[in-house]
Amino acid sequence: MIYSLLVLSSPASGHGARTAAAFARCLLSRGHQLNRVFFLDAGTEAGSSVAVMPQDEADRLRPWIDLSEQHGVELVLCISSALKRGMLDENGARRHEKTGPTAHPAFIVSGLGQLHDAAANSDRLITFGG
Amino acid sequence: MKDRKTLLVIVRQSPYGSSLARASLDTALAAAALEQPVSLLFMGDGVLQLLPDQHSEAIGVKNIGRLLGSLPLYDIESVYIDAGAAARYQLDTQDLVLTVKPVDPAAMRRLINDCDNVIGF
Amino acid sequence: MILHTLCTTPGRDAFDNCLAILSPDDAVLLLGDGVYAGIKKTEAFERLQATGASIHILREDALAAGLMERLGPILVIDMEGFVSLTERYPRQLGWY
Repeated sequence: MIYSLLVLSSPASGHGARTAAAFARCLLSRGHQLNRVFFLDAGTEAGSSVAVMPQDEADRLRPWIDLSEQHGVELVLCISSALKRGMLDENGARRHEKTGPTAHPAFIVSGLGQLHDAAANSDRLITFGG
Repeated sequence: MKDRKTLLVIVRQSPYGSSLARASLDTALAAAALEQPVSLLFMGDGVLQLLPDQHSEAIGVKNIGRLLGSLPLYDIESVYIDAGAAARYQLDTQDLVLTVKPVDPAAMRRLINDCDNVIGF
Repeated sequence: MILHTLCTTPGRDAFDNCLAILSPDDAVLLLGDGVYAGIKKTEAFERLQATGASIHILREDALAAGLMERLGPILVIDMEGFVSLTERYPRQLGWY
């Protein structure tokens, strides 16, 4: 089956982002396809290239980078959420005259149309939050 | 004409206490803008978004009530409200920013089962 | 047929909202903070059982919370089990 995921919560708080990454790895190992992961609201914090997490805890960013680099999964940060949270790509940093980019290049910053496109072209849309 | 999947967006946040409130509406509006059939269900605390007379300028943020009032312009198929939650908050479902259809739990279940995709916020 | 993923404690209104619409055709997965609804003999667990839906709990989150010896009769599953549930249920609804 073709899956798309929607992530609503931050890797810095709660379970949603962590569970989403583990779910993503698992569905691929079961032979499914992962079309896109769309990060919305606090979920966009998953794309931070500047957040520094505790050394003695599991890496929060690496699982997403691996999904992108090893499996070609598209990772999309919702632009309006990302901007509010300081997740800017090169264009965004330039346009808004901020120090950046702060979004890791494995993530694309784009609009909600990407979520609906993913949902329309997938068999399953799974939402993670909390 | 390609068959479009129907989407139900379930909104459970009060309007100004969580950024998820605005994100849920933006999601529904984006779907409508793409001409995807989308319905909205305001459940639990989400019913509070429909209160009339919101003056969000008092706190310097965009007015969610006004945004919802303009939903008919966006081709949102149907808007439903959790009747039980509305009653708990003493809301008159005929006097909200928008025309809404009150639904009970059984009807909410039917709405979810009838759509192709559901996103709960 | 809906897979409900319950991610907050029974003290939050998401729990009541979810239970109001649960049917015996549905499945519930307790994960994240939702695992606390799986504690045996609690009102929350009894209400969950009374819905007739099939109840599951994510092992890693129950383990993290210290609940493995405190759970009611509930199917403990791992991430593969979670994916398998999503294969069977065409719609998933997250509660948080």
